[in-house]
Amino acid sequence: MRFENITKTYDMGEVKVEALKESSFDIRRGELIVILGPSGSGKSTLLNIMGGMDTPDRGQIYFEGRSLSRAGSKELTQYRRHDIGFIFQFYNLIPDLTAYENIALAAELVDNPLTIDEVLEEVGLTERRDHFPAQLSGGEQQRVAIARALVKRPRLLLCDEPTGSLDDQTGKMVLGLLSRISSKEKMTVVIVTHNTSIGQIADRILRLRSGQIIDIIVNENPLPAERIEW
Amino acid sequence: MSTLSRKLLRTIHTTRGQFIGLGFIVTLGVMVYIGMGTAYSNLSRSQQDFYQAANFADYYFQVVRAPASVSSKIESIPGVVKASGRIQSDVSLLKEGSRRAVGRITSYNLPQAGEVNQLHLLSGRMFASRSSGGGVEVLLDPQYADANHIQIDDIITIIAEGRKVNLHVVGTAISPEFVYALPDAATMMPDPLNFGIIMMATEQAQQILDMPDQVNQIVVKLASGADEKAIPQRAEELLQSYGNIASYPRKDQLSHAMLQAELDGLKINSHFLPLVLLLIAAAIQFVILNRLVKSHRTQIGIMKAIGYNDFKIICHYTAYALCISVLGCIIGIIAGVLLASFMSSVYSLYFNLPQAISGINLKTLLQSVALSISVGAAAGFLAARSVIRINPAEAMRLPAPPQGNKILLERWRGLWSKLNSSWKMSLRSISRNRARSLVTILGVMSAVVLLVFSMFTNDAVDYMLNRNFQDVNRYDYIVRFAEPIEYREIQYWQQWEDIYQIEPQLEMPIKIYYNGRSEDELCIGMTVDGDLKRVLNQAGERLQIPEAGLLISRRMAQRLGVETGDKVRVETKMSAGASHTAELLVIGINDQLMGSGSYVSLDTANRMINEKRIINTVMLKAAPASAAELEKQFDEMPNVSSVTSRAEELQSYYTLLDTTVYFIGIMILLSALLGLVIVYNSSIMAFNERKRELASLRVLGYSSSEVASVLRKETWLLAVIGMVLGLPAGKGMGQAYIASVSTDLYSLPVIIYPRSYIMAALGAVVFVAIGQYLATRKAGRLDMVEVLKNRE
Repeated sequence: MRFENITKTYDMGEVKVEALKESSFDIRRGELIVILGPSGSGKSTLLNIMGGMDTPDRGQIYFEGRSLSRAGSKELTQYRRHDIGFIFQFYNLIPDLTAYENIALAAELVDNPLTIDEVLEEVGLTERRDHFPAQLSGGEQQRVAIARALVKRPRLLLCDEPTGSLDDQTGKMVLGLLSRISSKEKMTVVIVTHNTSIGQIADRILRLRSGQIIDIIVNENPLPAERIEW
Repeated sequence: MSTLSRKLLRTIHTTRGQFIGLGFIVTLGVMVYIGMGTAYSNLSRSQQDFYQAANFADYYFQVVRAPASVSSKIESIPGVVKASGRIQSDVSLLKEGSRRAVGRITSYNLPQAGEVNQLHLLSGRMFASRSSGGGVEVLLDPQYADANHIQIDDIITIIAEGRKVNLHVVGTAISPEFVYALPDAATMMPDPLNFGIIMMATEQAQQILDMPDQVNQIVVKLASGADEKAIPQRAEELLQSYGNIASYPRKDQLSHAMLQAELDGLKINSHFLPLVLLLIAAAIQFVILNRLVKSHRTQIGIMKAIGYNDFKIICHYTAYALCISVLGCIIGIIAGVLLASFMSSVYSLYFNLPQAISGINLKTLLQSVALSISVGAAAGFLAARSVIRINPAEAMRLPAPPQGNKILLERWRGLWSKLNSSWKMSLRSISRNRARSLVTILGVMSAVVLLVFSMFTNDAVDYMLNRNFQDVNRYDYIVRFAEPIEYREIQYWQQWEDIYQIEPQLEMPIKIYYNGRSEDELCIGMTVDGDLKRVLNQAGERLQIPEAGLLISRRMAQRLGVETGDKVRVETKMSAGASHTAELLVIGINDQLMGSGSYVSLDTANRMINEKRIINTVMLKAAPASAAELEKQFDEMPNVSSVTSRAEELQSYYTLLDTTVYFIGIMILLSALLGLVIVYNSSIMAFNERKRELASLRVLGYSSSEVASVLRKETWLLAVIGMVLGLPAGKGMGQAYIASVSTDLYSLPVIIYPRSYIMAALGAVVFVAIGQYLATRKAGRLDMVEVLKNRE
């Protein structure tokens, strides 16, 4: 995935907020990238544009050679459907569906999904498959969300503060799961966070401030999630 | 303006669609309450004032002829305040082009002061008791005069006792007994073109009808609390020797019975409909506020943390419901007053009442305001009460996700496993949000009930007309004679080329006695093998006219407690000749949707009066093209009192029905709007509540139409249940309505054509689709980033 001079401005009534300014970078297949920055630095905007939930005002994005910056709503829907898995801070599970059914909801969208039982096992929730979100702990809900993203076999897994609502033990477990998937499935994983410690598990770290990329750090020795501290 | 008031205004602004929708339902409720309530109270007050002012009779006695002095004898019965003797008789009214109408001569004693059934002059002047060069002076009922373009000082001609008599019209007048001017119980609606009331002095009527110093009707005013059983009995004894044809209390007086039935129906509607509407509005307000409080959980927590107490916060949310009630009241009052004046103008078409039926009824107005505000306040308070349970510290943390639950349908594993996720979401959401689902079902159901009910009266009347004018009456003309004649006198008509078929009848008033009870009835003697009029049973099957015995009408059978196989005693009450008595076996019970009457064979009828081939009515089937020629022929025969064309009669019914089309149209429109508002409200609630879920679906890769379909499934499922329940409930409402307004003089069959059910269902599909569309069109513009970022 390639970002070329991406600019995004939000119109907040009388004030214009430049969320991203002329940002350019590449993401390679199978790598785990952590985007770091304080709140308001533009990291969520970057993730939303990557995920086809938002479009840039200027600049170009290419995903496997296809331009996303000029894609219409239909194309973006198809892109989200087939290429993207999204994970949020607040899980965003459907309260009326069980863990199994929440995953099935995504599986129904694609032609060749993983089997639901397989992903449930992968995230360690086989026992809890028939529980509703309200009956699951935060960590369990987040694992369902990860399973829901994985079942579609996305090329790109985008995570917005995936550990933001979790205690550190549970958070580490979730991060461990994400890096294991990244290396095992050769899946590209992008994690957005303000928590600098998480950068230790990344292959590369992008630092953002006030809508600009200020630094791209290559991490030669990523740590396993269990060993990081915050 | 306090900060909380400003906050309230902003909440109203952000939920304006729902706010206006709810205001609309309250408006409808208030409008119907005020409109119908005012129309009821005005009509009812008008009726009572008129009855009082005109000294409307409590009892009627009909005799063949009696000396005028008999009224003072009746007046001397204790409990009788006043008895007025008079003449009432139907004559032929000659119209332009030698057409005829029926004129009902009704006489009045002058001076009117103190008399029973006084006239209320509308135009012109009172008639004089003696001719003063200008001929006999008469007053006409305003509807006949209007319909036939008769002006003051015009001359009208009647045929009385075989002679043409000219009458000088000196004005128009009305009386309580002709508020709803029907010739007989068989007629459903007034036909002012062909039936009119001719009012004149008793002396003049005596002269014209050759009844010197005689009367044939005594109208009686009873003292309040007088014995309504003993007095009529005593009066009947006094009248025995004069051929007492019929006697009946005011409640059986045709005009009064019809007016009362209308009033009763109006009273029920004016209470029932608004209550349903206000309860629907209250239920939706409750659900909306409940949701509002839930979604304002953090705000409420903050307000509490700052120091607002529960009461203040509850008042703040209750005020939202109150604002809806106030808005609904203001518009509802205006619309209600307009509705009342519209209804009054429709009533003034049908009913002859003196005062213009108008005026604002303050009591009804205040009642409606009190009702709608208290219902709104109660719904608001009940919903806002949940504020108390909100703990400020807890409220500012993230709420737990709503509790999903397994539903009953999941036990049916085979079906459940085949459903896709979006169906599962919809079904579980319906079961989780029970109150909202129930309101949607009940709301759609009410709208469908009202749609069916709107179309019901039209169907019922149409069915009744069809049955009466196609299955029962199959003749083209019915010709009535002023006096009975021998059948052979008119048998030559059969030789007329244009007449295909001819069947005679003998109609005579009778009194039926059974088991100590007695009732007045019209007896109709018909040829056994005739086919121009068919007598039907309850199931609509044809009954054969028996050679001997009686096919009694259901109304008589019910009043007397007679069953098939019983023997009844029958006394004939022909206006000419002595009365005779006969015993008749009841062969069967006949059912008539329009009119009444018990049937015997023509031979039996003749035997009852010791005659052989006497008739007074002839039914004809004629060549269609010959209508004008035939009518001219009949109209020139002096003995013919009236000629009724079936086609014309039917046409005049349909013309009258046309005026109700607007009313039905408005009802249908309002019902559909009600349904639309309810569906819009519940869909928008579902949409707002589930924005987050729907945005999650968009992120997963669901298209906006797939997302909207999740919402649509839920609403359609509920709407279909509402429709399925609403269709039969609409019929139920029709039944309940008819049961509450039926008298044995007046009833409607509860008939709803399949077409109306289909129309109601289609109407529902349209309002559900529109309401749905308006609520979910935002689904396409759902801002995923925004929704998923905000927790509230």
